Amino acid sequence: MGILKKELVLSNKDTMNDDVEENPDVEVSESESEDEDVKLTERSKTSVYNRDGLLDKLGDISWPKNVEWRHKLSLDINQEQEVDVNDDLARELAFYTQALEGTRQAFVKFQSMQLPFLRPSDYYAEMVKTDSHMVKVKGRLLAEKRKIEEAEERRKARESKKIAKEVQAQKIKERAKQKKEEIESVKKWRKQRQQNGFEKDGEMGLAFEDGKTFEKSTKKRPGVGPADRSGGKANQGGWKGKKGGADGKKKSRDFKDSKFGFGGRKGLKKQNTAETTNDTRNFNKGNFSENKKRKR
Amino acid sequence: MGKKRKHSEAEVTAPVKKDEGAPQRPKRTLLGWKDKVEEKESDSTAFRNKEKVLVTCSRRINYRYRHLMMNVVSLLPHCKKDNKVESKESKGATLNELVELKGCSSCLFFECRKQKDLYLWMAKCPNGPSVKFLVNAVHTMEELKLTGNHLQGSRPLLTFSTNFDKDPHWKLLKEMIMQIFGTPKDQRKSKPYHDHVFVFSIVDDHIWFRNYQISVPHNEADKVDRGGLDKMTLVEVGPRFCLNPIKIFGGSFGGQTLYENPFYVSPNQIRALEKKQKAGKYAKKVKAKKRRKMHEISNPMEPDEFADMWKE
Repeated sequence: MGILKKELVLSNKDTMNDDVEENPDVEVSESESEDEDVKLTERSKTSVYNRDGLLDKLGDISWPKNVEWRHKLSLDINQEQEVDVNDDLARELAFYTQALEGTRQAFVKFQSMQLPFLRPSDYYAEMVKTDSHMVKVKGRLLAEKRKIEEAEERRKARESKKIAKEVQAQKIKERAKQKKEEIESVKKWRKQRQQNGFEKDGEMGLAFEDGKTFEKSTKKRPGVGPADRSGGKANQGGWKGKKGGADGKKKSRDFKDSKFGFGGRKGLKKQNTAETTNDTRNFNKGNFSENKKRKR
Repeated sequence: MGKKRKHSEAEVTAPVKKDEGAPQRPKRTLLGWKDKVEEKESDSTAFRNKEKVLVTCSRRINYRYRHLMMNVVSLLPHCKKDNKVESKESKGATLNELVELKGCSSCLFFECRKQKDLYLWMAKCPNGPSVKFLVNAVHTMEELKLTGNHLQGSRPLLTFSTNFDKDPHWKLLKEMIMQIFGTPKDQRKSKPYHDHVFVFSIVDDHIWFRNYQISVPHNEADKVDRGGLDKMTLVEVGPRFCLNPIKIFGGSFGGQTLYENPFYVSPNQIRALEKKQKAGKYAKKVKAKKRRKMHEISNPMEPDEFADMWKE
């Protein structure tokens, strides 16, 4: 054993991460003065390296050369590039690729030897981590996923709210603009008419903006016949157990809607129009072969 | 009394009877009758891996390192866990005897000093080489970020990076690791199928260990589909640690030093260095103050014109 003269030097990459505590590999030397340390790059250590002894011992312990691969199950994978130790991601990736390469080669060998090597789905046996532990792992993974999703949703809601607000503001503006324009156009028309001295009465010089004449609203009144004064309630059959008192308010609202909604009922003002010619809703729909003259 | 005599008589006569004429009965086994003629000769000269590892630790071991040891025990079905050993006095001889007693052929000894540093001794026992490592970067299997799982006792695939073949000391370490961490074939507690893989790789003169679970979509136990190998994913299972070799000895737990790591700095020295760096703070401050004073004395400031502007 040689005498060791270790000279310690401040290392540049003296990173002490929480999970990696590594020894600085560059050596440090302490100068005699009390000031800062001087960096030395050469190693003046004399350390033992008994090459022959090592190879001797290797020969001692190795298994015989002709041992089948099935006993050893070892694979040598080439690591192409030098991995920086401090770069966690690259390092783990290197290990991962090494493992992946190794298993691929091993599986090819197994397949050629036709040995079973993949666990069937119905093979249940003791695992290295308990089920309760795996439940915890699952819980944690799900919790993380949920957190991410919630964050995403919140972000989306925020953005859509912003957009919706903008769209709304736009719509309001447009509506206001349209209203203004319509009023302006009516005013203009009146002015024009005034200027022209109220001449031809029937002509409308100024067409409306959309080019169409006034159209009757196509909104249908609640489906009642023209001469129905009951507000449509006579046609509605099949009410089961609707108590007048309990739904009284609703009933009266419905009643009112049907009476006055969408421009109200026609009443008896115009009973014979193009629409009502074929509308026989409120006429007797009894048996036509019955004797109508019999008093019922 | 009568009975006794009969019994002894029967004993005496029984062997005599057996030697006579009639051909011997075939040997009766649990599974049926086995003819004596039939013998299995196939395995008598073949190689049989009878590796057994003794896993122990020193007293005053940290919880994290104890869990690491338990994880290692669960990974190696060919190991025997033993009680804590006292770390004082000639631990080499005690441990060798212990290993001998248990009938093991190698040993993994987790030695924890100051409840902070973990040293791992890997030794091949009767007269084999032994290595002392410093263990860093320990993550145990209980961490929830390591999500994989595999059969307990299934034989692992061992992958080594090619750096192991570059130098004799790495070659020796590779051989030792392969023998200790590889589960023997047909070991009693081992399970079939290979569903996990160990990674040993040398980065920055340290040996890094990882354990991954292999998950590949498959239908049969001995074939993988054409595209299956490409869809293989690995999930990390097991403990993670990083070994820094300190010394390799020719004997078990002692003996001639065959190799010494020139880059190794003991954790004590690192801590001492850090303390020294911090220690000079006060002295440096005092010196700086003195220096400033001297400087001020040697370069006096010019009198300020506006000094008594605001004086009443």
